[in-house]
Amino acid sequence: MTAVTDRSAPPGTSTTPGGAGRRIAARFAPYGFVAPGVLLTAVLLYLPFLYTLYIGFTNYDGLHPSQFVGVDNFVQFAKDPALLTSVRNTLLWVVGATVVPVVLGLLVAVLSHGLRHATWYRIPFLLPYALSGAGLAVIWGFILQHGGAANQVLTALHIPGGDTSFLQHGPANTIAMIIAITWQQLGVNALLFMVGLQSIPVSPLEAARLDGANAWQLFRNVTWPLLRPLTTVVVGLSLVASLKTFDIVWVTTQGGPGRSSETLAVTMYRDAFVTGDYGQGAAVAVALTVVTGLVSFVYLKRQLRTVT
Amino acid sequence: MRRFRAVVAVLGAAVLLGLTACGGGASEHKTTLKLYNDKGAWKPYFQQLNATSKKQIGLTNQPVGYTDEPTYQSFIKASFRTKNKPDLFTWQVGSQLQDIATTGQVADTTDIWNQGVKSGDLSNDVKKYYTVDGKQYCVPLNVSYWVMFYNKKVFAEAGVKEPTSWADLMADAQKLKAHGVTPFYQTNILFSFVWFQQLLLGTDPQLYEDLSTGKAKYTDPGVVKVMQQWKGMIDKGYMSDAGDKTDPGALLKSGKVAMVPDGTWFNTTMSQLKMKPGSDYGTFVIPNVNPSLSTTSMAFESGPLCSLTKAPDPQASLKYLKWWVGKDAQTTWSNSRNDVSANPKVTSTDPNLTTLTKKANSSSTKLYLRYFEAAPPPVLTAALDGFGAFLANPGTYLKQLQNIQQAADQYWSQHK
Repeated sequence: MTAVTDRSAPPGTSTTPGGAGRRIAARFAPYGFVAPGVLLTAVLLYLPFLYTLYIGFTNYDGLHPSQFVGVDNFVQFAKDPALLTSVRNTLLWVVGATVVPVVLGLLVAVLSHGLRHATWYRIPFLLPYALSGAGLAVIWGFILQHGGAANQVLTALHIPGGDTSFLQHGPANTIAMIIAITWQQLGVNALLFMVGLQSIPVSPLEAARLDGANAWQLFRNVTWPLLRPLTTVVVGLSLVASLKTFDIVWVTTQGGPGRSSETLAVTMYRDAFVTGDYGQGAAVAVALTVVTGLVSFVYLKRQLRTVT
Repeated sequence: MRRFRAVVAVLGAAVLLGLTACGGGASEHKTTLKLYNDKGAWKPYFQQLNATSKKQIGLTNQPVGYTDEPTYQSFIKASFRTKNKPDLFTWQVGSQLQDIATTGQVADTTDIWNQGVKSGDLSNDVKKYYTVDGKQYCVPLNVSYWVMFYNKKVFAEAGVKEPTSWADLMADAQKLKAHGVTPFYQTNILFSFVWFQQLLLGTDPQLYEDLSTGKAKYTDPGVVKVMQQWKGMIDKGYMSDAGDKTDPGALLKSGKVAMVPDGTWFNTTMSQLKMKPGSDYGTFVIPNVNPSLSTTSMAFESGPLCSLTKAPDPQASLKYLKWWVGKDAQTTWSNSRNDVSANPKVTSTDPNLTTLTKKANSSSTKLYLRYFEAAPPPVLTAALDGFGAFLANPGTYLKQLQNIQQAADQYWSQHK
């Protein structure tokens, strides 16, 4: 990024013919290189966000000219009878879909680390990650529906629950879908932790072993602290993904029955595209963005401070 | 520097070209019209019309089908604001049609309706559903009557016959239940309104209409009574598992459920499942719950086929709509799907449908717009949620009605 100029010459003059032009070109060249990226980000991310923010304060319905309605949409959102259910389900997703897949992923990684043919043990956990969110939802919808595969297996094995409607009542339907997401996410978390485990230097582990540390002490005092930076990333990604949970809920239950499995992201879609109230949907989107941004900021700030 | 200038010049030219392209807008002459629709599975039926339309008016359709309703509606609404406009598109009557008509962008079809009613190709009874502020918009894509489909083999095995009264229907349900068959189909997704619609129409059709126009409340005693009756039928084991995602056609074919209340378009599903009308399945008009009503209430639906004033070739689109309502187009269209036609001149190849159409249009039957179109979208959304929650916990019917009324109060406070 250093401009090619003759520093001994007074500003605005050049010592060689065409030097001024070259200097200007050199000064603006870096901006030219970053311009496409900045332009794409601005057009595809910042502009839509600002537009969403704007229509969140209007009564836009996608057809007629919109009018400014102040904070009416946000007030309406706060009064929505399903808000509490939506917030409860989103919190369940945040806790369930962050903690369970991360802990189980770590467990799979640690238990299989160093084993012979460990790859073969990990492959079955990784395969579900190849499924799309919608595909996962369709498959688990058939498994969990009343009279579906889960009921049939429980009945065949004489385990209580053969007649349970997993998707009919909240919050059981949310928990059932969290199990489905865990099935998918576990493998990729295990893979990330495996990469972390392989990058841990051998010397501190050997030193701890020489000091007489057992397996648990080794994990708790050496492996786990060295995995902290990676854990921060894995948990951070899971946190954001669970806050905006939409696809599996929409495809499996459409947020129902009776909005019992709705999350904030589903509320946003429902308001904007099912009811056709784009202003209301945009207000929910803004609220959800603020919550996601705040949670991510607080989490990352806290974790990165601890790591450094 | 020379290279820098050259790059700037090329970029500038590209931008100018882009702007020029965006600035186009002269209408084009089209022979193939893109027909956007929310009936993705009907693609072959749309295409079957092309041979006749090409011969008669020199136009063909190219169906662009969607299967997800919110995505489809978003696309159509977006086309009102962009230059990417459909030649033809399907929509919904009721407040949905009113919403798009008031934008001033939907092509006026008053002339087509006037000529159609005069020639007998269109029914005057249906005209009101296509009228906004005294003008007509769009033409009927289809017409369907809501009746009961039943599995003939199951009926014969259980020793039950087509009912002629509500008491007969309940007696049939009891026998079928004793025979080990679930009498009625219900679902908690999208069509969760069907039994509410049927029970309310058969009990108090005026209350049904008043609910649709905001004159009555969902918490009124008459509505509460209907929900209690629905709950009673669930408690007696007459209803299928509302959470079962199996296609109702497959459930009827397998004999797991004996009866499915549905629009006559369900015939298309039956045909696709190789079920033969008359021998494998039958249909009957659902009797009123209240026997003292002077006419049998029947739910009716009609989906519009529309065009825009700024369609790529507005004249071609209107020409196609005019042709669409004619006897030739409607005969192919309704018989290929084995459904009734919006054109009263068209007779069905299925004698069962012909009988149904006659009954639907007789003085002993009164047609009411289907709840899905009759209720304004925000109320409908709340109602579908409420009925879904009710089906999961039937004891909560009062709470669900209160939630629906809350949405209705909010809507009607802004739309009176």
